Amino acid sequence: MARTFSRAIAFFAVLAILLAACSGTTSPGPAGSAATGAKAAYGGSVTFAMNSDISNMDPMLSGLFVDRHLMYAMYDSLVRVTPKGEIIPWLSALPTVSADGKSYTFKLRTDVKYHDGTTFDAASVKWNLDRYRLTKESLRLGELAPVDSVTVVDPSTVRVDLKAPSAPFLSVLVDRSGMMLSQKTVEAGGADFTRKAFNAGSGPFILTEAVKDDHYSFKKNPDWWGKAANGDKLPYLDTVIIKPITDGDVRLTNVRTGQVQATNAVTGKDVPTVKADSSLVYQEIAGIGYNSLVPNRAPGFTFNEKRYIQAVNLAMDRAELLAKGPAQGVGAVAYGSYAPSHFAYDASFKPFEKPDVAAAKKLVADVGKGPLTFELLVSSGDAATLQFAQLLQSQLAKADITMNIKTLLFNEIVTLQQQHKHPGMTLIGWSGRIDPDGNTYDFNYTGRPNNDSAYSNKDVDALLDQTRTATDQAKRKDLFLKAQQIFVVDDPSRIFYSYNAAQLLTAKSIQGFQDFPDQLPRFETVWVQK
Amino acid sequence: MTTYILRRLLLMIPVALLVTVGIFIIIRIAPGDPVLTYAGEDRDPATIAAVRAELGLDQPLPVQYAAWLSRAVQGDLGRSFQTKQRVVEAITERIPVTLELGLAAIFISVTLALLIGTLSAIKRNSFVDLLTTSITLAGVSFPNFYLGLLLILLFAYVIPGNLLPPGGWTPLSTDVGDNLRRLILPAITVATASLAVNLRQVRSSLLDVFGQDYVRTARAKGLRERAVVTRHALKNALIPVVTIIGIQIGAIIEGAIITETIFFIPGIGRLAVQAIPSQDYPIVQGVVLVSALSFMLSTLAVDVLYAFLDPRISFGGSEA
Repeated sequence: MARTFSRAIAFFAVLAILLAACSGTTSPGPAGSAATGAKAAYGGSVTFAMNSDISNMDPMLSGLFVDRHLMYAMYDSLVRVTPKGEIIPWLSALPTVSADGKSYTFKLRTDVKYHDGTTFDAASVKWNLDRYRLTKESLRLGELAPVDSVTVVDPSTVRVDLKAPSAPFLSVLVDRSGMMLSQKTVEAGGADFTRKAFNAGSGPFILTEAVKDDHYSFKKNPDWWGKAANGDKLPYLDTVIIKPITDGDVRLTNVRTGQVQATNAVTGKDVPTVKADSSLVYQEIAGIGYNSLVPNRAPGFTFNEKRYIQAVNLAMDRAELLAKGPAQGVGAVAYGSYAPSHFAYDASFKPFEKPDVAAAKKLVADVGKGPLTFELLVSSGDAATLQFAQLLQSQLAKADITMNIKTLLFNEIVTLQQQHKHPGMTLIGWSGRIDPDGNTYDFNYTGRPNNDSAYSNKDVDALLDQTRTATDQAKRKDLFLKAQQIFVVDDPSRIFYSYNAAQLLTAKSIQGFQDFPDQLPRFETVWVQK
Repeated sequence: MTTYILRRLLLMIPVALLVTVGIFIIIRIAPGDPVLTYAGEDRDPATIAAVRAELGLDQPLPVQYAAWLSRAVQGDLGRSFQTKQRVVEAITERIPVTLELGLAAIFISVTLALLIGTLSAIKRNSFVDLLTTSITLAGVSFPNFYLGLLLILLFAYVIPGNLLPPGGWTPLSTDVGDNLRRLILPAITVATASLAVNLRQVRSSLLDVFGQDYVRTARAKGLRERAVVTRHALKNALIPVVTIIGIQIGAIIEGAIITETIFFIPGIGRLAVQAIPSQDYPIVQGVVLVSALSFMLSTLAVDVLYAFLDPRISFGGSEA
């Protein structure tokens, strides 16, 4: 058994080397420069609107999704991901993995400089990874918990040794945990670095101005190493401006009047309008995040009884919730936690495709404690969420399930949920991670930090442990699906009902903008049609 | 006068202290854990504990307050939980924006109130009076956020030429023209809320003054109506109006909260809007303190201004 495992790891290690060799460390990942087939033009500017302001430019301390909008422009990470979710070389070739799956060796690019002029090398990688995993208030501690040590092998080679094999390890290096920053600039910035991260990255754009609540300006990094698939030196744009515009109507108006040329946040009601506008291009793919109802399964609470959760699952009409709720059809119906862009996704997994009111009623009757009544906590001040809750309420009423809606501050809901004190269910989603592990493990494994439903199932724990040590993707998929059958159907931890949509709305003159399932914009391949 | 001002300034200290204690307690007894907001989706227990300790939230409330106060009296209001920016810096870099917006709004509101209010008072119960007060009341009946959105849509889709952009901000020091273009719509939005109050105050004060003996005397002397209104009536009618304007200046921050959010203007109001739901205590405390101080200072300024507007008012204390 151990020998088979070692062989499998050795096979994938060799495969990784071959892939790295094919992709080369000198011609990295950015691709898809000219969607129209026209020759891409250099110069120009794009203003992009996001739906809220960032909190922090330091990947170590960043806790908000929106922060990453800026980070992908100014920082490079060790590896990146394609729109299809495949991990590709970036600052490093794909690593070679030791036979026991515990040692990852990264061969680094040698032509990279940070915006402050310092050199990116193995020592810099060690400094960054150690900073992320050893600083006590780092928000990357959990992601890098599998790392035992980081060793500089030579100036362009770094070895990361893990405490135990971890299949999802490489995927966390795609994002903030793998972003490389200049030690000189970070240390010089001190406590102010979090919002004045000028010249800290090596990415395609250099941050030039940061005005909180207003805009973030970037200029082209003329020395960036990236090239397009057609050989063009990237990036094309001279400047990028990212603006936080919280109101959906105002955001759209800014796009339609040309003040802003791109956004990734369009409210459901506006999608038909932008699709009909010939001056705009709307793209939408399924994201990697999901929306869910989180029952409290702790002893003494209503949903400690799993049949009640199954009854709610059966009484829901997911298609109607998506089509007639605030999403207005934007996104996709979900039954489990793996999104269509995950390798573990199974399109045939549709356990509650149609509502079955009779079956729901029977389950509640089988419990023998009378009609099911519970409380759903909904974030106050969020009209769209309340509208969704009311639609769900009316659906459940058909199965004689009474769902009382209670509005609380979002922060209060999160606190109650994490302490497992919410009486019924909450309505909380997840932005998603590129490896299915990131959508599963911490939410379903006994005692993990994001296991807000206080869920515990030994079979699920065992299966999820195996998904981390298995290296064969087909094997991992099989294990994930077995776990999903349990934590969705047989002994539910959450009720999954929809996947996020990764939207991208651009002015027609903007080319080369690719829609990624993680919903984050990549500007290096974007150009303006003259 | 100097003694009066000094006494009032000294009295502000206990009031400010009370305000800080009040807001300190209120935001902390509000349910929810700011550390969870800060940590976002990454909730490793060790990280949560480390962050709580770093932010000082593992200390008892009196210790937290004493630590905050001891720094505050030295001019250090701490750092934002979320952005780590110094609160003093966050506020001072936004004050010019909010002040410009607020003063522009008050300028619009007061100018229109004086013009329309005077006209309404002179033409009392006429069609003009009815029309102007009706329009103003209709304007103030629009909630701020709704009027802001309507103005944005009007200039974006109805009025051609993109005359006034749908939000955003250019500092005055960068481009005066663009600054004014971006200022007009939000300033009108804020101004509309106070216009009706100011207009009604001007109108009723003038009507009151018109009934006074000295105005009748002025008219009996044969002064022209314009001279009666501008030289005699308006100056005295303005005293209560000044009080209201003083309060409005003190309340600029509150008035800007919604408008700054809609027009994505980087002012203090927007800072507060973001800080409150995320329970960014240092920012909320800082904004409330500055807001309270601005209110107290503007009230003092109004009281001092009274002495110049109305010689009957004295700050010398009782002479009995």
